Amino acid sequence: MQGAAWLQRFRRRWRGGSEAADGAAPEARGAAPPAEGRAAPAGRILIIGSPNVGKSALFNRFTGRYATVSNYPGTTVELARGRTSRVPGGAEVIDTPGMYSLLPITEEERVARATLVAEPPAAVIHVIDAKNVERMLGLTVQLVEAGLPVVVALNMWDEAAELGIRVDVARLEESLGVPVAATVATEGVGPGALAERLPEARPPRACLRVDYGPVLEGAISRIARLLGAAPGFSARARALLLLQGDAEEHTRVQRELGPDVAARVRRIVDDATRAAGHALHYLVAMARKSCADEILARAVQLPPEERTGLRERLSRFCMNPLTGLPLLAFVLYFGLYKFVGDFGAGTLVDFLESWFQDYVNPWVNAAAERALPWAAARDLVAGEFGVTTLGIRYAVAIVLPIVGTFFIAFSILEDSGYLPRLAMLIDRVFKRIGLNGRAVIPMVLGFGCDTMATMVTRTLESKRERLIATLLLALAVPCSAQMGVILGLLSGRPAALAVWAGVVTGIFLLVGAAAARVMPGERPQFYMELPPLRLPRPANIFLKTYTRMVWYLKEVLPLFVLASVIIWIGRLTGLFDLATGALVPVLRLMGLPPETAVAFLFGFFRRDYGAAGLFDVHQQGLLSGNQLAVAAIVLTLFLPCVAQFLIMKKERGLRVTLLVSAFVLAVAFGAGCATHLALTVLGVQL
Amino acid sequence: MTCPFCGKEFGEAAARTACAGCSLVGGCRKVKCPHCGYEMPEETRLVRAIRRWRSRRHDRSAD
Repeated sequence: MQGAAWLQRFRRRWRGGSEAADGAAPEARGAAPPAEGRAAPAGRILIIGSPNVGKSALFNRFTGRYATVSNYPGTTVELARGRTSRVPGGAEVIDTPGMYSLLPITEEERVARATLVAEPPAAVIHVIDAKNVERMLGLTVQLVEAGLPVVVALNMWDEAAELGIRVDVARLEESLGVPVAATVATEGVGPGALAERLPEARPPRACLRVDYGPVLEGAISRIARLLGAAPGFSARARALLLLQGDAEEHTRVQRELGPDVAARVRRIVDDATRAAGHALHYLVAMARKSCADEILARAVQLPPEERTGLRERLSRFCMNPLTGLPLLAFVLYFGLYKFVGDFGAGTLVDFLESWFQDYVNPWVNAAAERALPWAAARDLVAGEFGVTTLGIRYAVAIVLPIVGTFFIAFSILEDSGYLPRLAMLIDRVFKRIGLNGRAVIPMVLGFGCDTMATMVTRTLESKRERLIATLLLALAVPCSAQMGVILGLLSGRPAALAVWAGVVTGIFLLVGAAAARVMPGERPQFYMELPPLRLPRPANIFLKTYTRMVWYLKEVLPLFVLASVIIWIGRLTGLFDLATGALVPVLRLMGLPPETAVAFLFGFFRRDYGAAGLFDVHQQGLLSGNQLAVAAIVLTLFLPCVAQFLIMKKERGLRVTLLVSAFVLAVAFGAGCATHLALTVLGVQL
Repeated sequence: MTCPFCGKEFGEAAARTACAGCSLVGGCRKVKCPHCGYEMPEETRLVRAIRRWRSRRHDRSAD
């Protein structure tokens, strides 16, 4: 009896909806800008889900590929619309762009959310990749919280089964409080069963309720009371969006309820932020994760080998400090020291350098001698500091093989999924220096190029974190070429390498901890969903390395040439000698020979250029073990290059940039003098 | 494309919006993940062509 009543009610809804929708031509429907809060929700199905979960395949199964594709008004994001006869009376089906969360980041997510609000659906099909239920449930929870009539399509069911993943559909339904159907959209398996469950789609009543804790729950209730009932998402879901700082929702409140209510909402959000002591979006994410984990534990059974298999064990190894730190040491030793330092900066550089010294430079010098009668013009292209004999030689023979090997090692780490686990591992250490695991992104990118990494610090949440990260990048994070050269310089002297690594790491932690104390603020929180560990594919590694090398060459060659020209002008005007002469007394304090002044001067232009200069001085046999360690420490901690200086000014202002630069210069020379003094007093020969 | 750091997928348009307000206005030849801010070099035309060729070959063998 109950089933018959459902069917009757459902048929009425779909018929009513289809009549309304049939009034307009499909093209017109596709092009019409969706008005917010549009009435007539019946007869419309929205397909929602993360990218690449099979939404379009399911859309095609529902509509038979007859679709109208149009841009969402004011955007380049496409929405596909079609009609289905799989439900009584037919219905309009909309394939929305991929979204990970109702709190949008990308334009696609913004469009998907706007469509959910502007075109109220009779049913929302949330398409989930059955292989990755864990990563998908967060959005399901949000859709259910929003009070939307959700039906879950567990797509790629066959692939999940092949992997031994068993999802108890009944239990999942019970936990979520919404219908769930298994599908294999590409094979046409399951859309029929899914369509049969659509009549059951209705705003969940006794659905799951995420417990956000007393502070947030209090704030949610207060905001929800202010918002009242409105079309679109439930008041609870809207309150959660407001608590997470969603700008669009704030604008909507301002527009629909007036500035007074908007101001009261802001006050509630501020009070909750103060009372919680953490970023609210972090608390919301953690509560949802814990809810999703409970559902997962009840309804999803992973194969024994997936739970305790090599991949899962390795993933835990990477993040557990007891095993993760030795693993990190292993990665650094073989990935950086042996591969980049020994092979890249040793074998490859030796080969290319000898090729330049034996063939290219003599030929360029001879050609310049023949073709250019003016000594100044000859010095520009050839000789000791010529564009070809110095600039291009540094870029091609010294820096390129080093960054090439570094990029290979980096691409392997990137493709394996190790980096997010490294972020989790060092989160605890980073918190002590006022940062969190998220700061691993600019720090890791800093090994590629500190200038770019300085720009990436803007993704950090607080001004304090951004400032600390900028300072540490300018001070103690060497770029890939610089580090490769230093590893190459010190690879034959493990004791000098240990001193260099100890001093630089010590200063990184010490300065970070001191900065965190000087600039007090709330303890930053970090949470991220981990992508699975993967076996890197050689073809992908090759393509990535090639892409990065092309990028690097395009980036570095013009600057190296420019630096050579500036040095040439400096030599012509005598400024170069003046500057190197001014550096000599400071270098003496650190026990370094005057020849290293040139390398430090090069370092002002680019850090890698300076490192290559130091490599040159070392090849002339002018540096002892102690001097090598001191010079490497000073050059690593040395002033940011010109590009980094300019970006720092742009991102943090001139005052901060000048302060950071003065501090960095003082620490670099201070650390050099202290290391030299300590080694001399202790009588240590590295 | 898939972000090698957070594993989330995004299109070229989304990557461009992630660069809004940057002083380099796209001159860095990098692609930025809008979800986590991780950056990767923009693929060269040659690499894009190879990827397209490989995916076409993969699709044909799947058929």
